[in-house]
Amino acid sequence: MAGAFAYFLPAAKAAWDTTGAVVRVTPSPTDLFTTSPTATPSATPAAAITGAFTILLLGSDDDSKFYSDHVLTQSMILVRVVPSSKQVTMLSIPRDLYVHLSTGGFGKIDGAYSYGGAGAAIATVEQDFGVHVDDYIWVGLLGLIKLIDAIGGIDVVTSNPVLDDYYPADIYSSWPYGYERVAVLAGPQHLDGIHAMQYVRSRHGDLQSDLGRSQRQQQVLLAIRQKAKQLSPADLPAMSTAFGGELKTSIGLSKVAQLLPLAGSFDNPDAIRQIILASPYTHGGAPDGSLYPDWGAILPLVHQYFP
Amino acid sequence: MMISRFILAGVLAVVVVLGGTSTYMYLGSKQSRVAAPPEKPTAATPRAQATTLPGAIYLTQSGAIYRLSAGRFHQITPEAGWSQPSLAPNGSSLLAVKYGQYWSDVYVLSLFGTPTRQLTSNQARQGMNDPSLNHWSFFPRLSQDGGTLWMTYDGLKCDGCFDVSPAVYSMPFGGTIRQARAWTDGGYYSGGDQQPIPVPGGVIYTKYDYGSKYDAKAENKLVGMMWFSNRAGAYGRELTTPSEDCRTPSLSPAGNQAAMICTYGKQVSYLTIASWNGSTLGPRTTILTNQMVAQPTWAPDGSGIAYLAPAVPDGPFQLWWLPKAAYTAPPPSPPPTPTPGGPHNGPLPTPTPPPPIPPVKPIQLTTNNGFDATSPIAWLG
Repeated sequence: MAGAFAYFLPAAKAAWDTTGAVVRVTPSPTDLFTTSPTATPSATPAAAITGAFTILLLGSDDDSKFYSDHVLTQSMILVRVVPSSKQVTMLSIPRDLYVHLSTGGFGKIDGAYSYGGAGAAIATVEQDFGVHVDDYIWVGLLGLIKLIDAIGGIDVVTSNPVLDDYYPADIYSSWPYGYERVAVLAGPQHLDGIHAMQYVRSRHGDLQSDLGRSQRQQQVLLAIRQKAKQLSPADLPAMSTAFGGELKTSIGLSKVAQLLPLAGSFDNPDAIRQIILASPYTHGGAPDGSLYPDWGAILPLVHQYFP
Repeated sequence: MMISRFILAGVLAVVVVLGGTSTYMYLGSKQSRVAAPPEKPTAATPRAQATTLPGAIYLTQSGAIYRLSAGRFHQITPEAGWSQPSLAPNGSSLLAVKYGQYWSDVYVLSLFGTPTRQLTSNQARQGMNDPSLNHWSFFPRLSQDGGTLWMTYDGLKCDGCFDVSPAVYSMPFGGTIRQARAWTDGGYYSGGDQQPIPVPGGVIYTKYDYGSKYDAKAENKLVGMMWFSNRAGAYGRELTTPSEDCRTPSLSPAGNQAAMICTYGKQVSYLTIASWNGSTLGPRTTILTNQMVAQPTWAPDGSGIAYLAPAVPDGPFQLWWLPKAAYTAPPPSPPPTPTPGGPHNGPLPTPTPPPPIPPVKPIQLTTNNGFDATSPIAWLG
């Protein structure tokens, strides 16, 4: 008992720190488009794991350029899991999407988290996309690197060479405003954390910029999910130590325990649907280089896969 | 009574310490080992199956080049950014890339890994702080006559833009980069033209570009395509379609077959072969579909194909061997011979069908290594 307690103590502490975070959903002042005005994601009791659920994945540059908890979310991915049919749908929300923010006013959607934390990000997505978000997971830059290293790397077929002369040198540098050259070559390969991060974060060499990056992020997410199937509960202490405050989630420990075996049951890659909101769903010309959404096209698509 | 209490407490303390320690160690032993780092190829590890390949194979792990010959690995360079070995046509030396901080250069090495010549100088001049002033050279190859160096090189970068799409270049072996000629344009924000293979009459390479540019039905995302160009500056010609998403060409020793990796737009990689007549690829035959295959390389004696693939799902890449019998049709069975002894009056005996030929499976040659799957394999016969 004492040995088990000592073994899982780091995991328990990390779990206490990072899971089950209470989310205060920031309602929109005008409640435009709101379909679920009483939505309180964390307060929703964990549905039976046989029921479908939706998770909002958030990824942020959280280097020293930013104040902690006031970071942008460069990556926002809505994930809908339907255990009964073993279907997964991933919808990448462009970070530059010009939307009505739950905290008031209009702006790029990546600012919602910066203004009001996870609650504001969730509320913004819920009101604009007309979906209900059950839980969220937020990961910082270093967290993703450490996660991938902690699981021993991932296998990815990188779709194209990612060559960037102006990749931010902000992760292990004391001067977070510098640049470095990176080159991730194409094809099947085993990526460690730092190279996986370069692959999903670089956008200068891609004509589709953030949209191309979203496609790569979905590839890496699927690879992480694949690798997670090989983990055992005894890996939790090492994993939790690796994160070191770089992960926050509203998912409670009991639900994590229910989700782990569920992840292993999704074996069919054809049952995973990946959606990128490129043209015609979005188009440029919005303020500050942001993208205008075509809600008339987006909402039917979203409601089809996120009912 | 007091003594027995002390003894009991002591025994309990020992039990708690021993039990706790053993529980802790037991739980630790139940970790999945997914994060265990790969071993160096030179470490004595049991092989999955004892198979000795002919000649010497050069491949890369953790920035070092290793030679596999007579069933043993030898590390021929330090772990210092070495990658992408290829052989001189006469088999007397190696070409390889060495990575610097923000650049990479092509070197000539002896077969035992000693650098003998630096062929490119891609590091920006001292004092230039802009990292974009450096250059990349990848995938060096020598022409059959040994006089021309082929490589991928980012020499077409424009000032003030972010595009770093390398093109296929050729330059005189031993010449300077100023003598280099761009055979392709590298595309536009696409990842460029990679991995040139000089062939008689031109060069085969992998072009990365948006599929919808070539096929209106294709998704507007970056894919790989095999291309052929017969002269510098020519537009070139597609050998595979965007929907096939093929890359990493490798020509058979006879030069009449190509092996490549195709994904068909999925997170998988199929080992595909096709005939090559000098200008077009023939019908594709997919010979491996259940592994994440990388860097197929033909044996110089034509006896099979070596490649890299994980041994376990999502594991690091190991060396595998696919004997020729796995991808060639078995010879037709001989026709039944007439029964000796003259004409047969009774009913003819039913010929016994030949026993089914068991399928030839790939052979895993290494178990605990982590080879660089983006680095081609060089094979000396």
